[in-house]
Amino acid sequence: MIRIKRRAVSVLLLVALLMGGLCLYIARFVSSGEKWASSVVNRAVFSDGMLATGTLTDRNGVVLAAWREGRVFADDERLRRASMHAVGDMSGGVGTGALTSFRSRLIGYDFINGIYSREGTGGEVALTLDSRLQTAAYDALAGRRGCVIVSDWLTGDIVCMVSSPTFDPENPPADVENDPRYEGVYINRAISAAYIPGSVFKLVTAAAAIENVGDIYERVFECEGSAIIGGEAVTCTERHGSLTFEDALAVSCNVTFAKLSLELGADTLARYAESLGLTRRHSIDGISTARGRFDEAEDGSADLGWSGVGQYNDTVCPAAMLRLVSAIANGGGAPRLRLTERGAPGKFMPAASERVMDKETARRLALMMSYNVERTYGAGNFPNLELYAKSGTAEVGGGEQPHAWFTGFITNEGHPFAFTVVVENGGSGASAAGAVANAVLQAALDE
Amino acid sequence: MTNLLDGLSLSARNDIFSYITLIIRYLLPIPAVVAVARCAVSLLRRGRAGETWGYLSLPNGARIQLNHWENIIGRARDADVHMAYPSLSRSHAAVIRDGAGVWRVYDLDSKGGASVNGAALTPGEGRAVKSGDLIALGSVKLVFVGDGGADAPRDGRAARPRPPRPWMALVFLTEFQLLLGTQACIAKADALTVSVPASFAALIAVMWICYALSRPASGACFEIETLAFFLCSVGLSITASSSPGTLWRQTAFLCAGILLYCALVWFLRDLGRAARMRRPAGAAGLALLVVNLALGDTIFGAKNWLQIGGMSFQPSEFVKIAFVFAGSATLDRLFAKRNILLFIAYSGACVLALAMMRDFGSALVFFVAFLVIAFIRSGDMATVFLSVGGAAFAGFLAVAAREHIAARFSSWGRAWDNVNASGGFQQTRAMSAAASGGLFGVGSGNGWLKRIFAADTDLVFGMTCEELGLIIAATAVTAVAALAVFAVLSASAARSSYYAIGACASASILVFQLALNVLGSTDILPFTGVTFPFVSRGGSSLIACWGLLAFIRAADTRAASGGFGRSAESDDTD
Repeated sequence: MIRIKRRAVSVLLLVALLMGGLCLYIARFVSSGEKWASSVVNRAVFSDGMLATGTLTDRNGVVLAAWREGRVFADDERLRRASMHAVGDMSGGVGTGALTSFRSRLIGYDFINGIYSREGTGGEVALTLDSRLQTAAYDALAGRRGCVIVSDWLTGDIVCMVSSPTFDPENPPADVENDPRYEGVYINRAISAAYIPGSVFKLVTAAAAIENVGDIYERVFECEGSAIIGGEAVTCTERHGSLTFEDALAVSCNVTFAKLSLELGADTLARYAESLGLTRRHSIDGISTARGRFDEAEDGSADLGWSGVGQYNDTVCPAAMLRLVSAIANGGGAPRLRLTERGAPGKFMPAASERVMDKETARRLALMMSYNVERTYGAGNFPNLELYAKSGTAEVGGGEQPHAWFTGFITNEGHPFAFTVVVENGGSGASAAGAVANAVLQAALDE
Repeated sequence: MTNLLDGLSLSARNDIFSYITLIIRYLLPIPAVVAVARCAVSLLRRGRAGETWGYLSLPNGARIQLNHWENIIGRARDADVHMAYPSLSRSHAAVIRDGAGVWRVYDLDSKGGASVNGAALTPGEGRAVKSGDLIALGSVKLVFVGDGGADAPRDGRAARPRPPRPWMALVFLTEFQLLLGTQACIAKADALTVSVPASFAALIAVMWICYALSRPASGACFEIETLAFFLCSVGLSITASSSPGTLWRQTAFLCAGILLYCALVWFLRDLGRAARMRRPAGAAGLALLVVNLALGDTIFGAKNWLQIGGMSFQPSEFVKIAFVFAGSATLDRLFAKRNILLFIAYSGACVLALAMMRDFGSALVFFVAFLVIAFIRSGDMATVFLSVGGAAFAGFLAVAAREHIAARFSSWGRAWDNVNASGGFQQTRAMSAAASGGLFGVGSGNGWLKRIFAADTDLVFGMTCEELGLIIAATAVTAVAALAVFAVLSASAARSSYYAIGACASASILVFQLALNVLGSTDILPFTGVTFPFVSRGGSSLIACWGLLAFIRAADTRAASGGFGRSAESDDTD
């Protein structure tokens, strides 16, 4: 019987298989349960492949999307159009929409309770967006292609994110695929596109110059309207004459910044583009932004000069530019951009902000951006705003109007907003994109 | 309940219901975990309760206890009676008591030979001995003292501890059942039929009646049954949710299972009677499979259903009981190699028949049970494996691995890549629903997985997770594991190898089948479509599980003769 007893222990192998398997299952349940529950196969929360629960609101509780026996969006049609990219559409065409990205929170999933809630209404997700600013930005864009993104530069909360073209998600147009008016309509240009930056890129070259050119503030630059660099002409819009470094940024002198670029070298500029976050992807509560581009041109070439003034092969994502100007406003620390009140669940909170430049560099850049407004953009065009800004007029070639950029921040008491506006083929940055930015910021001040 | 709330508006009533559900789902795991934990701890702590059935007196006056009905005497360390005399063979002789209390001595092909009162034994022959007889093994002389044939061990019973307050686990379990029943009724709301509360009431009543009837006989050991009743409670909740129309039938199946259990426990008490059943039961099982193969219906891909008078049942479930009967053997039968070879042939036939029915899961369960039985009987895994296992399994795979089974293997582990294909449809639904339930579930009757095919059978683990939560689902798995561990522990105290093998074989079937069910539906093992013991809806499976449980109970030496049906007078001596 002792032998039988010893051999009987073999049954424990099967018990070990069972309990080991159960432990593996529980481990997977813990690590992947959120994915399982948010899967479209979950009939409790999906209906015909559509998320059928949860409520999405703006920061003030204004409903942006909800499920009431069917998908409904905001009551106001302008708000629906303005927020189509941030919220997502019915067909799921906008891959980065909150309805897709915050699915697990909209179904109300947590490890303890699964998707159970007594009311059975799923989860409520409050976005950091402000409906009023959404409609203001939508109106200001007035149907032009482009985007507006505004954030609180202290917290990183995105309060406004509008992309155009757009449509009313409640009444989607019949032929989105083939109608040229809706070309690229599903792309949220604020986070998923990278544009040629033009002169807004001079903020990067300026930062590199401040930290790498010892006598930068003593220098006097000469602009004859154009200069031959690497055998090719680098041109300005006009002859700027003698300029200090501050003046050169304020008048956005291509000749000066091209020469500085050659002096700094392609690798230095590339390093700054990287460390300032323009060529990296960023995560906004798990939504990935587009990556910008900076190609290192040959030393001494015209291409290198052009790359330092935001032309050549440069591209920048508006959200990354927003993060950069937020860092300048913050004294060098770039806040983590957020679209919801808390970070994506299940992830450890990364540091709230990342230092991307010296405090002194940030202070210098801020002073220069303020001087830009005073000297070039005209404070009168931005009433009541303590504005720090840089414009960009990005040549796109092909005989088309340049893209208009306007980016910066305001320091008005209680309104610490950073912004980036792009109007595609909008012409002059300061006037086209600047006017849009002004309209949105005025709305923000009205609160 | 609906009448009471008639005065309220519908929304107010639903509001109240939702609060009750909220409370129940948090409370439910407490009595479940407590009841199962009490039983498991009690079983594992007391599984080794030993008995002494007789003695062997050495010339020097020392006494060696005989702790089983079957004892091997020899020089080997793992002999039951281990004596380091050079004239003894490693396994010299066996002293075996039969169910009627008659002791016999067998010579196990020893070098030195054996004799009783001077008359030499021939190998293979069993010579009856009584107290005072002189047994000579080689040069060692021993005086045998037996138990006198009473149905009680000579010693050791007094030392056997009783579980403290065994009814406490039942009280917790009843609380669990009441909460479960309440939630099941609430979930039905307006569509509530009397079958829901009635079946839960019947379950509670049957459980307490069983306890009351068995109490004098079983020495208040009721943990095994309590665990089974816990699993059946979960199963009833599943049935009430997925298929309330079959609740009456399911309750009847439960009663039938318990009756079979009682009958088998009674039947197995008599070792001689049980051992004689080996061949008839084995033959009946094989015949059932053959009839199934000839006349069976193919339902859902497997030809493992038999229709008799409007009732359909799965013969393979009952063949499991026959298989355990056929596989169990008393120690004297284990000496002959011919017996294990016969069993190997029998197992091969069973597995082949199941494979031909395309019942892949059951075939695998039988094969694993065969491995366990063969190993316990022979102790020689290499031989078992090499001589037959490989050949049988290869043949079985050749027959069984047809298209859909091959597909199941090829999609194994990649369920989420095949969300809408056959290789992942059911598993992804099960996992998604399970995650939806979290730790506490969405409440019995509130899930959606029940609308998926086989939710209450093959996918029942997912459905349990969804509706009752991970805690209760894991507790249910643990309950079966505790039964198996108890079966292993009780093998050390079992009177006969027959009981030990029977308990271990039954435990293997239950545990392995559960592993296939749980891990198959969660994409950890290939999905084979077997049932969750006691929990899955369906008559054949439920009844067969109770039948298998009887073998585990039969090895339990804590109660004088195990389970129900023991006469009251022998308890008086306790």
